Amino acid sequence: MAAFLAARLFQAMIALWGVATLVFFLARMTGDPVLLLAPENATEADLQQLRVSLGFDRPLPVQYADFLAGLVQGDLGRSVAQGVPVADIIAARLPYTLWLAGGALVVALGLGLPAGIYMGVRRQSRGAKALMALVYAGQSLPTFWSGILLILVFGITLGWLPTSGARSVSSMILPSVALGLLSMATFARIARTSILDEMPKLYVRAARARGLGARATVVRHVLRNGAIPVISVAALEIANLLAGAVIVETVFAWPGLGLLTVQSINARDFPVVQGVVLLGAAAAILLNLVADLLYSAVDPRIRLGGRAT
Amino acid sequence: MPGTLGLRQATAAAALAIAALVAPLPASAAPPETLVIDIVNEPSSLDPHMQWNPDSYYVYRNIFDNLLTRTDEGEIAPQIATEWTYVSDTEIAFTIRDDVTFHDGTALTPEDVVFSVERITDPEFGSPQLGQFSSITGAEVTGDNEVTLTTETPYPALLAQLVKLSIVPKAHVEEVGTEAFNLAPVGSGPYAFDEWQRGVQVTLTRNDAYWGDTAPFAAAEFRAVPDAATRVANLQAGQSHLVVSLDPDLALQLQGAAGVEVRDVLTERVGYLNLNAQKPGLDDVELRRAVAMAIDKELIVEGLLGGFDAPIDSMITEVHAGYGGGVEGVPYDPEAAREIIEGLGEAADREFSFATSPVFDQRIVQALQQMLTDVGLDVSIEMTDMSTYLSKVRSAPADAPDMSFGRWSCACQDADGVLYPLLDSDSSWSKTRDETFDRLLSEARNTLDETERQELYHQVNERVAELVPFVPLYRAAILYGADANLVWQPTPNESMFLNRMDWSE
Repeated sequence: MAAFLAARLFQAMIALWGVATLVFFLARMTGDPVLLLAPENATEADLQQLRVSLGFDRPLPVQYADFLAGLVQGDLGRSVAQGVPVADIIAARLPYTLWLAGGALVVALGLGLPAGIYMGVRRQSRGAKALMALVYAGQSLPTFWSGILLILVFGITLGWLPTSGARSVSSMILPSVALGLLSMATFARIARTSILDEMPKLYVRAARARGLGARATVVRHVLRNGAIPVISVAALEIANLLAGAVIVETVFAWPGLGLLTVQSINARDFPVVQGVVLLGAAAAILLNLVADLLYSAVDPRIRLGGRAT
Repeated sequence: MPGTLGLRQATAAAALAIAALVAPLPASAAPPETLVIDIVNEPSSLDPHMQWNPDSYYVYRNIFDNLLTRTDEGEIAPQIATEWTYVSDTEIAFTIRDDVTFHDGTALTPEDVVFSVERITDPEFGSPQLGQFSSITGAEVTGDNEVTLTTETPYPALLAQLVKLSIVPKAHVEEVGTEAFNLAPVGSGPYAFDEWQRGVQVTLTRNDAYWGDTAPFAAAEFRAVPDAATRVANLQAGQSHLVVSLDPDLALQLQGAAGVEVRDVLTERVGYLNLNAQKPGLDDVELRRAVAMAIDKELIVEGLLGGFDAPIDSMITEVHAGYGGGVEGVPYDPEAAREIIEGLGEAADREFSFATSPVFDQRIVQALQQMLTDVGLDVSIEMTDMSTYLSKVRSAPADAPDMSFGRWSCACQDADGVLYPLLDSDSSWSKTRDETFDRLLSEARNTLDETERQELYHQVNERVAELVPFVPLYRAAILYGADANLVWQPTPNESMFLNRMDWSE
C-alpha cells in the first residue's frame, strides 16, 4: 500500500510538471497580454516599456526557469492584469467553486443515482421510460438557456430566489440545479447501464435461488458490483465540477474558478491561467487516486499493487 | 423529491460559513441606502494609476478626485485644480484646492499632485496608461497652492488627458506600497473604499466630508455580473438599480418593462472599416472609394444596431476638441461601386482578407462582407482572438490584413487622439503613408490655437473623404438599464459619477 502510494505520488509529480510545461508554452503561443492591457493609442515604445516592467521581454527559457523555480517554492506568480499574487486570487475563488460543485453533486447524485437504479431494475416499466425522457432532457438542455429560464421563472416571475450572485445561501440553489442537471443525466445513465450489465449474471440468480428477495438482492449484491463504473465516472465528474463550470458561473455571476479562467484567458493573464490549470490537474490526479482506493474497498478482489498500472 | 431535500440540507449546513462571507440583501426602499450597480467583470485594479478599463474606472473614479473633470455637457471643468494658466506654450500652472482631505483625514497638498504625475509617468512603475501622460516631462510645486506641469512640446490635448489623472495620497502610498494600496485604496473622492469581495463586488461608502456635491445613497455596491441577460434579470427583479453594457436586443426588451428604463447616449467611439492602402488593389484610391460606396451605413445602424447608434462620415464628432464641422463622406452607391470594380478588372480580382475579433459585433462584420460581395469583391473574414487581432492590425502594412473592422476611442475627446494614431505614417495602426496627412497632423499637434487646430483637422477630414484610408461607419451608442427612479444621464466619455446621481419618488 505504501509503495503503491509512493509510486502514484511520483507519477503525479511528473504529470503536474508536464501540465505546467504545456500550459506555460501553450499560453504564450496565444498572444501578447500587453496589447490588451494598454489603451488603444499607446505607442510601440509604451508597449515595450510595459513588456519590460512585466518581464515579458526576457527570453522564453528564462521565463520558464523562473516559473518552475517559483512553482517548486509554491509560488504561482503574480497576475498580469490585477497585479496581485495568483494564489490569493485563486484562494478567494476556490470556496465558491467548492460550494457550487458540492451543491451540483448533491443534485446530480441525489436525483441521478435513484433514477438510474430504478431505470435499471425496472427497465420495462412505463415509469422508467418516462424517467429516461427526463434524463435526456436534463442532458440536452444547454445550461446558458436552462440557467436563464430558471432565473426568469424563480427569480423574476415567482421572485422566490435571487437572480444571480453569491450573496446568501438561497443564491446557491439555482446555479446548483442548473449545473447538477447535466451530471445527473450522466450518473443516471451509467447507473442504469451498470445495473443492466449485472442483472443477468449468475450470482443474481443464485441469490434469488437461495431465497433472497428482489430488493435485498439489488441492495446487497447488484449495487455493490455495479458501483465500480459509477465511482470512475464520479471521480471524473467531480474533477470537472472543481475545474469550474464556465457557463453556469457566467449566467449566475457566480465567482468561481471557471469564470476566473475564462476572464484570465481573454486577458492573456498567463500566471492566473497557469495556476487554475495546475489546480485542475492536481484535483483530477487526486480524485483518480481516491477512486482507485475506493475500488478495492468496494471490491476486495481488486488489489492495489506496488506498481500502478 | 429526495434530491431537493438533500440540497436543502446541504445548503442549510453551508449557511453559517457563507453567511459569514456575504452581506444580506438590501431592502428595496426609495431612495435606497445602498445603490447597487451591475458591471460586467470585477475591477482589474482599484489603483487609478494601474489598469484602465471601464469596469475598473466606473469604481475608482468615485474613490478619487481627478486634477480636472468634465461637466455632463462635456466641458473641461475644475476639480482638484480650480484654475489654470499657460505660463508658456509648454508650461501650465494649476491652482490646487486647499480644502480637500483624503479619506484617511490628511490634507491633499500640491505635493500629492506632483507625486501623482510622477508616479503614473514613471516608466519603472509600468502603468498601462503611461502613453496618455508621457507628454508630461516635469511636475513641480511652484507656489503655496500651485503646481506647474511641463511638456516637451506644446500639447493641446493635455487638459483632456488630465481629466483622467487621479490624485493619490503620497504619504499613504509610500507607506503601504503599491500592492496594499490597490487592495485598499485611499482617495479624496465622494465615496470611500469599504470592501472588495474578490470576484463578487466592491462596496463603497459615502464620504460625508466631501468638499463637492454628494449623493443620497449612503453606500454603493459594484457587482460583477458577466452575462448581460442576467444583468437585465437583476434589474427587473429589483435586485440592482443600474446595469451597464446592454446589447440592442436586451435594450428593446427592457423598453417594454415596468419600473425600468433604457438610458442611452452616443459616445466618442466610432466604428470603422480600415483599408490597407499599401496592399495590391487597395493601393488604388478608386477601389477604396468603391468599397466606401458599397456600404449602407444606414442599414447597419437601423437594421442591426436597433437605431441607437448614428451613421457617421468622420472619425471625430462634436464631442471631440479640434472638431471643425462635418464633412461629406463617399455617398452610398452600390451601382457605381460595381462599375468601378468591373472596370478595375484584374487589380480587384483577388481574395481580400478582413480581420475581426469576437469582441466586435459579428453581424456588422458579416453585413460588411455581404455588401462588398454584392459589388463583386471576394472578401474573406479572418476571425481571431483579440490579442492576435491587435498584433495583426498593428503590424507593418505588408503583414497586416487588407481590411479590418475596429471601434476607436481615445477616451480623451480630442481629435489628436483619434486622427494621429489612425493616419500618421509612424503609427502602427496606420496603413497610410501620406506626407500631407503627416504635416497636417503634426502642425495640429503642436499648436494651442483651437481655431487653427479645427481648420487643420477639417483639412484632414476632407482628405480622408477624398483618399479613403478608412471608412467611418457609425458613432457607437452605449446602453444602460436603470431603475426608473434613478436620476442619471450617461455621458459620451462613459463616466459614472455617483455624486451626480439622484433619486426621484
